Amino acid sequence: MKRVIRIDGETVEPAAGSVIETEPGVWSAIVDGASYEARVAGDEITINGRRFHFEIDDPRRWTRRQGVAGAQGRATVHASMPGKVVRLLVAMDAEVTAGQAVVVVEAMKMQNELKAPRAGRVAKIHVKENDSVTAGTVLLVIE
Amino acid sequence: MFRKILVANRGEIALRVIRTLREMSIRSVAVYSDADRAALHVRKADEAAHIGPAASSESYLDIDRVLDAARRHGVDAIHPGYGFLSENAPFAQACEDAGFTFIGPSAKSIGMMGSKTAARRVAKDGGAPIVPGTDEGIERAHELGFPVMLKAVAGGGGKGMRRVDRREDLAAAYESASSEALRAFGDGRIYAEKLIENARHIEIQVLGDRHGNLLHLGERECSVQRRHQKVIEESPSPLVAPKPEMRARMGEAAVKAARAAGYFNAGTVEFLADNDGNYYFLEMNTRLQVEHPVTELVTGLDLVRLQIEIAAGGRLPFTQDQIALRGAAVECRIYAEDPANNFFPSPGRITQLAEPSGPGVRVDSGIYAGWNVPLEYDPMLAKLIVWADTRGHAIERMLRALGEYHIAGIQSNIPLFEAILNDAQFRAGNLHTGYLDELLKKPIDFKGAPAPELAAVAALLAGKMTGPQEPPAVVSGASNWLTAGRAEQLR
Repeated sequence: MKRVIRIDGETVEPAAGSVIETEPGVWSAIVDGASYEARVAGDEITINGRRFHFEIDDPRRWTRRQGVAGAQGRATVHASMPGKVVRLLVAMDAEVTAGQAVVVVEAMKMQNELKAPRAGRVAKIHVKENDSVTAGTVLLVIE
Repeated sequence: MFRKILVANRGEIALRVIRTLREMSIRSVAVYSDADRAALHVRKADEAAHIGPAASSESYLDIDRVLDAARRHGVDAIHPGYGFLSENAPFAQACEDAGFTFIGPSAKSIGMMGSKTAARRVAKDGGAPIVPGTDEGIERAHELGFPVMLKAVAGGGGKGMRRVDRREDLAAAYESASSEALRAFGDGRIYAEKLIENARHIEIQVLGDRHGNLLHLGERECSVQRRHQKVIEESPSPLVAPKPEMRARMGEAAVKAARAAGYFNAGTVEFLADNDGNYYFLEMNTRLQVEHPVTELVTGLDLVRLQIEIAAGGRLPFTQDQIALRGAAVECRIYAEDPANNFFPSPGRITQLAEPSGPGVRVDSGIYAGWNVPLEYDPMLAKLIVWADTRGHAIERMLRALGEYHIAGIQSNIPLFEAILNDAQFRAGNLHTGYLDELLKKPIDFKGAPAPELAAVAALLAGKMTGPQEPPAVVSGASNWLTAGRAEQLR
């Protein structure tokens, strides 16, 4: 099955050219004699100062859509505001179901249960109980 | 000369001072809070002292803890940088009392200039023109004629400032300005000045030794401001550059004001100026300014080295007629904020970083790839400064350098600078302090025009990605309002 590549939400036919990763996250592309330096972080590619969001649809591989209750790929549980990890409710490698509470974070004097965005296995735990976290900190990864 | 100096600051300015100390073979001592253990200034210093928790009131603003670190490390002198304790007269006095040289003016000069109304009296007595205003309070503010500007007596950094256009709005504006000033400075006193519309912000760098020699190093124009915060600074001013007699008169007025305050070391006298060449004393900043690099680039001097030599009792190594400005320098303040999203603060982890280099480019930075920008402090990441032979070339060079700048993981205001530097009015040098607010009222496409061939190249690259890339450090769903609110409370 052919992979479909979407750039900023639109299906785009890839250009033909030479591509190498020159240093971690930094790529060089040569297309029709034109040279491009690109940087890749997460699901974004920056070329010539212009930032593109990309998605790849391929049933045989992971999908980059994170945080949605899909059946495949990685999903992260992140802190939505600065706070403190009160309790971890799951251990490494635990199987979780979609919507299962996995970690309790106290923020703005309230305790919030953060839930698994989809079913899977706990692949990474980035925090310990009592850790302070900033907004956006990835707490757990579910695969 | 000093053997060891403590830098009572953090971020890019701490690193900038440490670099000069290394050139002078003086040992440097960095200080850090819990939030800054991994900060770049700590990595680059010879020695480092922990001074408390993340909240600056219990670390960088805590005089006893800073002095305790100075004692533990056996330093000779303390450089305050800008912000934090740099314009705190009791701190300057406490340093001297504890036997450490304070690298800056005397506590007495800081105290005189720290009160904006006292500074106005000093400047007026020194012969500098001042903006008409009240001494304190707003009882007579209406006599100035509207619009007026309310300002905090203890002010700075745009805090406690309100524009008032009508007499009936005066009382409400006074209340809100006063409470903001009380929160920011612990002093709610407010005075009123006549608002000079479409004025330019032009400031003069002064430098004096402890033997009575005082001179100026020309001007900087800082008219490009957002919410009273400087965004772009340059030297020379496009207004003053063709008028050497205006520079001479403003320089003389600045030196007189500084002399009236018994000033030594580096300081800045700020003026409002109009396009007819009239200028009015605004205030004096008794410290090294954020934007000092543009003066360094056009004069070829190292202001931090001069500050240290002066503090050690040295004489100014040149006279006024030996100072010449050469070429043009421009500085952009790179902030962790998103211009496409109403300038929301964007703290978080920097996943990738590429800084510009090449001819005429200077980056004074406090960040690295992997650094987590703390939300407890000012979100300035770095300053990008360029020099070229003309202002036009400096603008082109700045655009080139901004194109090389890449910060991933957090948002930065780099796209804002590209919009300003490409604006015809900025390029013409036709500036005033309301210029940027007017520019931002028009819709700006920060992403730039869509380029079909770039999308195809992006697709080519995307097809080569074989696994998940590291997730971005800041997830867009995070509430930056909450983040910013929390940061404001901690500050």
